Amino acid sequence: MNVVFQSTYYTLYQANNERCFYIDFGQKTVRMSLCQLLSLRHKLMSIAIENHFDSDLNSHGFEVLMLCNKEHLFVLNTLEILDLKKLVDHGFMEIGISAKTVAIV
Amino acid sequence: MKDIARQSMSIKVESMDLLNGQIKMEAHASATYLAMASWCEQNGFFTSAKFFFKQAEEEREHMMKIFNFLVDTGGNPISPEVTDINHDYSSIVDVFESTLEHEVKVTQSIHNIVKKAREMGDIATERFLDWFVMEQVEEENTIRDILDMIEVTGTEGVGLQMIDNQVANWID
Repeated sequence: MNVVFQSTYYTLYQANNERCFYIDFGQKTVRMSLCQLLSLRHKLMSIAIENHFDSDLNSHGFEVLMLCNKEHLFVLNTLEILDLKKLVDHGFMEIGISAKTVAIV
Repeated sequence: MKDIARQSMSIKVESMDLLNGQIKMEAHASATYLAMASWCEQNGFFTSAKFFFKQAEEEREHMMKIFNFLVDTGGNPISPEVTDINHDYSSIVDVFESTLEHEVKVTQSIHNIVKKAREMGDIATERFLDWFVMEQVEEENTIRDILDMIEVTGTEGVGLQMIDNQVANWID
């Protein structure tokens, strides 16, 4: 497996022989097809992260994420959501289907 | 590293996001025209109601065209949530003026996606939208013609009835 991108908490891998991707969430590693990765991206994009900073809109500061057709359930806090967004954003650049370019740091 | 993602998906994710936005816009247009059809039926403009029922169907067809394009390119089409549909109009003129406003917004949105696709070098999306660009020219022209007809006919006396009857000329 090749590492595509590593963020603070998570790592995205590409498995060439299986033609799929893996995300290491720390406590478990989840196998994903590109469709499932696109679905994760959509779920993350739909999260209103600014609500995490308003106790009336999101009093607990958590998000529940169900992945891969409800096979996996994650409860993530604000920092973890932001980090997962970063992983997906950079991951899509690295796998070549995002028009964004990787910033040279 | 193999190009697995590119082999599974023919367009950029940014194009996919914009097209999903357009799917939502077409769905909203379809629901808006249905609301206009309802208003026309309730206010005795039965020919205009038929016109808007047909428009609602057309907008849904446009939505499905984009939806299927995303399916064909390996993208992730999202079934849209449609909210905030206006059901209140002050007159039949208001209905058609709102329609033109709506069509102009749709045209601007499509032009924006074409420009972005061009910037990204996403030729497939750009070429796919060619049909929509020309379709919007036709849609805007139809509504402009109806508004011209309304102006010529006038809304006094039997004017409103004549306007409704003449809308039949724009129903295929």
